[in-house]
Amino acid sequence: MTQSVTFPATSRRGFLKLSAAGTVAALSRPLSAHAAPKTITMLHESSFIKPFDEYVQNVLAPAYEKQTGIKVNYELTSVGSLPTRISTIAETGSGADITMNGLLQVIQFGEKYLEVADIAEEIGKAQGGWYDAGKEAVLVDGKWKAIPFSNIGQLMNWRTDWFAEVGVKKFPDTWEELYEVGKKLKAKDHPFGFELGHGFGDNHGWLYPLLWSYGGAEVAPDGKTVVIDSDETARAVDFARKFFRDTMLDDVLGWTDVSNNKAWMAEQISCTNNAESILWFAKREFPEIGKVTDQAMNPAGPKGRFHLLDSISHSIFSFSPVREEARAFMRWLMDAKQLGGWYEVAESYYQPLLHGYDNAPMWNVEPRNLPYRDALASAHLPGWPAPASRQMAESVAKYVVVDMFAKACAGEATKDVIKNADAQLKAIYRSA
Amino acid sequence: MLLDREGVFSWLMMTPPLLFLAALVGYPFLYGILLSLQDRPVAHAGTFVGLKNFMTDLRDPIFWRVTVNTFIYTGAATLLKMVGGLCLAIAMNQNFRMKNLVRALLLLPFIVPTVLSTVAWLWMLDPAFSVVNRLLVAFGWPKPGPSWLGNPTLAMISIIIINTWRGLPFYGITLLAGLQTIPPELYEAATIDGAGGWQRFRFVTLPLLRPIILIVTLFSVIFTFADFQLVYVLTHGGPQNATNLFATYAFDIAMGAGQLGLGASVALAMLPALALLIVALTIYMRRG
Repeated sequence: MTQSVTFPATSRRGFLKLSAAGTVAALSRPLSAHAAPKTITMLHESSFIKPFDEYVQNVLAPAYEKQTGIKVNYELTSVGSLPTRISTIAETGSGADITMNGLLQVIQFGEKYLEVADIAEEIGKAQGGWYDAGKEAVLVDGKWKAIPFSNIGQLMNWRTDWFAEVGVKKFPDTWEELYEVGKKLKAKDHPFGFELGHGFGDNHGWLYPLLWSYGGAEVAPDGKTVVIDSDETARAVDFARKFFRDTMLDDVLGWTDVSNNKAWMAEQISCTNNAESILWFAKREFPEIGKVTDQAMNPAGPKGRFHLLDSISHSIFSFSPVREEARAFMRWLMDAKQLGGWYEVAESYYQPLLHGYDNAPMWNVEPRNLPYRDALASAHLPGWPAPASRQMAESVAKYVVVDMFAKACAGEATKDVIKNADAQLKAIYRSA
Repeated sequence: MLLDREGVFSWLMMTPPLLFLAALVGYPFLYGILLSLQDRPVAHAGTFVGLKNFMTDLRDPIFWRVTVNTFIYTGAATLLKMVGGLCLAIAMNQNFRMKNLVRALLLLPFIVPTVLSTVAWLWMLDPAFSVVNRLLVAFGWPKPGPSWLGNPTLAMISIIIINTWRGLPFYGITLLAGLQTIPPELYEAATIDGAGGWQRFRFVTLPLLRPIILIVTLFSVIFTFADFQLVYVLTHGGPQNATNLFATYAFDIAMGAGQLGLGASVALAMLPALALLIVALTIYMRRG
């Protein structure tokens, strides 16, 4: 039988050309064909604000997949486990492509992160510019190793009804004024409660700002010279001792991060230093307490007003097989169209480090959160005025400054606790 | 057949467990030693520094505090568990109603995951909510009662008590098993010889129980020495390092500060003391 299928007439030379083109096409194909259904894994610490994570899972990730065909796997890890997870991924070179960073991870893992100056600068230019604090947290040796996302500020939380009982309507402006109010409130069985134990954040959150506001610091701007042993530090320590003795519960010396939240909801304390979560939780679970909870910037000391920078940021692992896709995704994610909505679902728990959001509608949802925005301009890392360093991370992990204050509060002499901290810091910064 | 030869067969049987031990115990252990000899920041390549990390530890005042803490914690908790466990075992060895139920219930503290039971203790030791302080205040203690986790001494006492509470059933049940292997004839003979209750305990029970007490103590010392979860959940080493132990301090340095080498050196610093103790106990047991 003769075949009825007809082929287009092809000359021998034409055939060769075609097959050569075919070969080229075939050779170039596998690269794109092989990686067809691409996935980007983004590691995030599970948020205290549930809608925040749900927004990525239900809105942003599906939208990106629809637009580009790239699947975004938003992987959550429990609170507190992020450093350990990043360690594992960085050490083994696999597990995620993008990760969230807390306070210290950019410094520790910078070597395993891609430099992202181009993306960060582009985002900054488009959205009003970065806060200095945003840069402070992500620059490692002058290189952008992460894209700043937000600060989770630590501020003063205070009971308006009890403060009013002692005639105070507006939160005191200085530490000394706050001390005077605290004395009166403790006498009325409404003590203060500021963490002085070994938690992760609520201790550093007020003790570093207190130290700075009296003019003290742990290290000079060179990041090498330890300067903790100063009259300024001594004044801050002396203040902390009387502040603890005359305004607080004894138990704060053993507190960890959950303790002040618990004490707040149990109506045990009239003032503490915490993130927005206290107000957020009170409004939902204890509305009566929520109504009389307000927030304020940290009090000022003789040398100014300071806050602790507790920023989060995102980095791309340099060993990721989908580096370029991850870059493109971060560019898309941090675009105002996506970013604005993401910030908004969490009200202002995540305070943007971009000036473009200074007057965003998210701040109108809960005006009591506005101090968190205003605190950004005076927020710094624990090792400030030195740039972020491994030594700073070690000092934080060893609770050097926290324990200096705590020991003084427990009764040790000012010069002894400072001498001790000085020796510890010198041992730590020796390697700088 | 090759397999019929004793030497070949026994080695064949021994190989899987040996490989298992080498992979899961040997490798991490050797890797830990290797780490402790390096300056090894997390996510950076390490450089060999010899014993520098151990020298750093020796100069670190927190390290010494941690060493003292760990010895006090292990010593006190083990002693309490030993005495308490023995009393518990003797009590459980008597005949009473619902004996089996009570024996089973005794194991509860040991069965409940440490993190869970520790969180329960966290609430019990809270000055505002705790049953402990409510009771003390009810009996006339000035309000709000002692700060169990805020006062350095009380915090150490608290973790010792909780560790004892958790470890007691292990002692109790193991010693109970030992008690039941003692032939009743020996007690009868002792009674006939005129021995009283105390003498029966001193000259019959204790000598026969000694090997078991030693084994349980050995295990208990190792577990207590390396305890992590209890302290991590309850105090995180605070207040002012009063409850920081080798394991929690090593974790903070390795994971918090990202100094894997230095952290490994802190963790390994407990090795010589533990090894010495184990050797001493083993020699003592063999002689017995």
